[in-house]
Amino acid sequence: MAAPPVLEVAGYTLDYSTPAGPVTALADVGLAVARGETLGLVGESGSGKTSLAWAVLRYLPANAVERGGSIRLSGEELRTRTAAEILEIRGRRIAMVFQDPSTSLNPTIRLGDQLAEVLVRHRGLAPAEARGQGEALLARTGIARPAEMMRRFPHEASGGEKQRVVIATAFACNPELILFDEPTTALDILTARQILDLFARLREETGVAALYISHDLGLVSRIADRVAVINGGRIVEEGPVAGIFRAPRRDYTRALIAAVPRPDVRLAAPPPDPGAAALLALEGVSVRYGGAAFLSRLFGARPAVVQGAREVSLQVRPGELLGVVGESGSGKSTLARVVAGLQEFEGRVGFRDRGYAGRRAFDRPYRRAVQIVFQHPDGSLNPRQRVRDILSRPLKLYGLVPRARLAGRIAELLAAVRLPAEFAGRFPHQLSGGEKQRVAIARAFAAEPDLVICDEVTSSLDVSVQAQVARLLVELQARTGTACLFITHDLNLVRQLAHRIAVMHRGELVDLFDTAEAETDARHPYTRALLAAVPVPPAAAADPAPLTGEPP
Amino acid sequence: MTPAYLLRRLGAIVVVLVIVSLTVFGITMVLPGNAAVMILGEWATPEQLAALEERLGLDRPVWAQYFDWVGGILAGDWGTSLRLQLPVAQVVGDAIANSALLAVTALVAVTLVAIPLGMLAAIRRGTGADLGIGLVAYVGTAMPEFVTATLLLVFLAGPSVALFPAGGFVAPGESVAGFLAHVALPAGTLALVMTAHIARQVRSEMTDVLGSDYVRAARLKGLREWTVIRRHALPNSLAPAVAVISLDVGYLLGGIIVVEEIFAWPGLGRLLIYALENRDLPVIQAITLVLALVYALSNLLSDLVIAALDPRVRYA
Repeated sequence: MAAPPVLEVAGYTLDYSTPAGPVTALADVGLAVARGETLGLVGESGSGKTSLAWAVLRYLPANAVERGGSIRLSGEELRTRTAAEILEIRGRRIAMVFQDPSTSLNPTIRLGDQLAEVLVRHRGLAPAEARGQGEALLARTGIARPAEMMRRFPHEASGGEKQRVVIATAFACNPELILFDEPTTALDILTARQILDLFARLREETGVAALYISHDLGLVSRIADRVAVINGGRIVEEGPVAGIFRAPRRDYTRALIAAVPRPDVRLAAPPPDPGAAALLALEGVSVRYGGAAFLSRLFGARPAVVQGAREVSLQVRPGELLGVVGESGSGKSTLARVVAGLQEFEGRVGFRDRGYAGRRAFDRPYRRAVQIVFQHPDGSLNPRQRVRDILSRPLKLYGLVPRARLAGRIAELLAAVRLPAEFAGRFPHQLSGGEKQRVAIARAFAAEPDLVICDEVTSSLDVSVQAQVARLLVELQARTGTACLFITHDLNLVRQLAHRIAVMHRGELVDLFDTAEAETDARHPYTRALLAAVPVPPAAAADPAPLTGEPP
Repeated sequence: MTPAYLLRRLGAIVVVLVIVSLTVFGITMVLPGNAAVMILGEWATPEQLAALEERLGLDRPVWAQYFDWVGGILAGDWGTSLRLQLPVAQVVGDAIANSALLAVTALVAVTLVAIPLGMLAAIRRGTGADLGIGLVAYVGTAMPEFVTATLLLVFLAGPSVALFPAGGFVAPGESVAGFLAHVALPAGTLALVMTAHIARQVRSEMTDVLGSDYVRAARLKGLREWTVIRRHALPNSLAPAVAVISLDVGYLLGGIIVVEEIFAWPGLGRLLIYALENRDLPVIQAITLVLALVYALSNLLSDLVIAALDPRVRYA
């Protein structure tokens, strides 16, 4: 008789009781993961993918109501286990790796102690023994000096090192099953790649079964054997990775695949006139952060200076979309803040035929002509203002339309970002994430700018919404001839949208090239490393269904 | 923490004390009459006043008087109390010791009671225990200490109950039991308000920490709930509570003035009121300086404790 799957969920239904009545989070979910296998569970926010992880770990909130079904670990039903029995299973037979190691590790406890406590708890080791074992576990995850890492606190380690500690902790008791909840989204491109490679190696060595939860179908396709697509609490499609990409059976899956950014599917606006004079020209722009407070200086504290940008020079032509990519701390957002006039700088910013030597030199016409859209619309839209007030602000500030035409112009702007006119009366909290970001884009375009800075505008959105927002942006750009400085860490997306790409690394501009030349030998080694870390997802089925409206 | 940091902080305390001393000294200059008038009374002849002023150095320039005074304090000569005719250092020194006994007892009581109460409220959030603690905390915060003190007196020290003495002081060197009996009500009064304050702070911090990703991660490692609370949640909830306790020292310094007067506790507060009533300037000046120093030092101490609790806090 064949061994039962390590994880088997069958007919599982979960509701959350809310003041407005029960809300179904999972409906008749069934899936199985065998030993040594990785199942990718792909869904957008609110799809129920995380609820399933909590259900498996028996870590459900008080208002969760299980309506039926079974959750079996190697054939044993987990739902009937007592709380004390579950405590013996967690961390020993089922482990979890979380999204962000900087929040899932306790900031006040040394990394070694956080790793060793699992061994003390589940394998009954004495603390000293557990620390010795912990070093061996860290060495296995590729940490160069494990003994030293054991003594560090989380803030003394890099994101990649912390995630290795979390993974070592998860593998510490040789679990049967590991749940991964977006373990690389909080990491930089190159680090994320290393973590994925590490996971693949450990899976080889230990034969662990893994449930890999993610919103990123492209990413999951690289590490999972099979993929289950979840939407509205139901598994809509399940199968081997290649099959799902080649022949998706459901419209929702097709839409998800179509939304995965793919460099060969170009979305860019028509290329700018190569002979045109530069619209924006940065010349030797440098930014230094840091400096001690007055009272500390009085008593002799020396300021700690961090270089945010170092001698950056680049140009943006009218109508061009220049992608700026780089890892966190590379200086790409610093650049956005300089051009937006939010950050003091040294050097010169040229705009059309004028030059500006500092933040305070930016005048009113410049501030109107250069607009910015931020990453989080929740932070950049005033929660106490209606959409109407948000959009009328630039119109009134720059006197762009007469008062009588205000309402009409707002309706036009909403139509341009494909939002119904009645949204003018709504507050930001009454909109979805994608809708909010459209309002932020509409506000930027309301000023009739020549240049719009987009600082990671899609990274807090779901994949399908991200695709819609990207398409909308390019469309607006093509229609109005506005240039765009598009800052992102998503290489595949920027290769779809940009005419040229600038690569930043530790505050310096290391590479700048036409998008078509991304994969030529002329590229900087750092650019090549980034591109190698983010493979292009498998080709979609012919004629992908275009994404229209919100997903079902 | 670097020695340079510590030196900078101590330097800042010196600056604060200089400013306080200037202010205190300035007030004595602004007030009508001077020490000679106070010593000799209203009916003294101008000749007598002039003679005494000369003896006390009151005829010299203001800045010289200030430096004499500060120099004296630094040398341990705090002057002589105008009313008690005793050295200020001795009078104030005895009072400091007595007040410190009261304040430390109150602080220890608060720490022992408030932190577990706050923890309990956070762990049992939304239950009757949480509600009860919250209610008591609100009432405790809202009630001024003279009301609390009066209520305690009536219910625990009234003639019919007489569980505790209604006032007075017994040094712990004489009789520990006697000291505890006498300190219970004044310390309890001070502790009640601070307990409410600190328990609420601990509850709110602990609630946040219990909802954090790393506490969830600790639970999903299979750690027992008590281990999660003791190792992961408690140390991280305490740092903000320590900051509040140190702010409460400011309250405590005000609170002892009222409480000592009510319970006839021979400490700084009582001495200050006596000195104010009798315009005993050297004593007022000394007490004001001592209170400023205690407050500044308690802030420094709390920053050091916070650094010890949270490795991310590094002062340089």
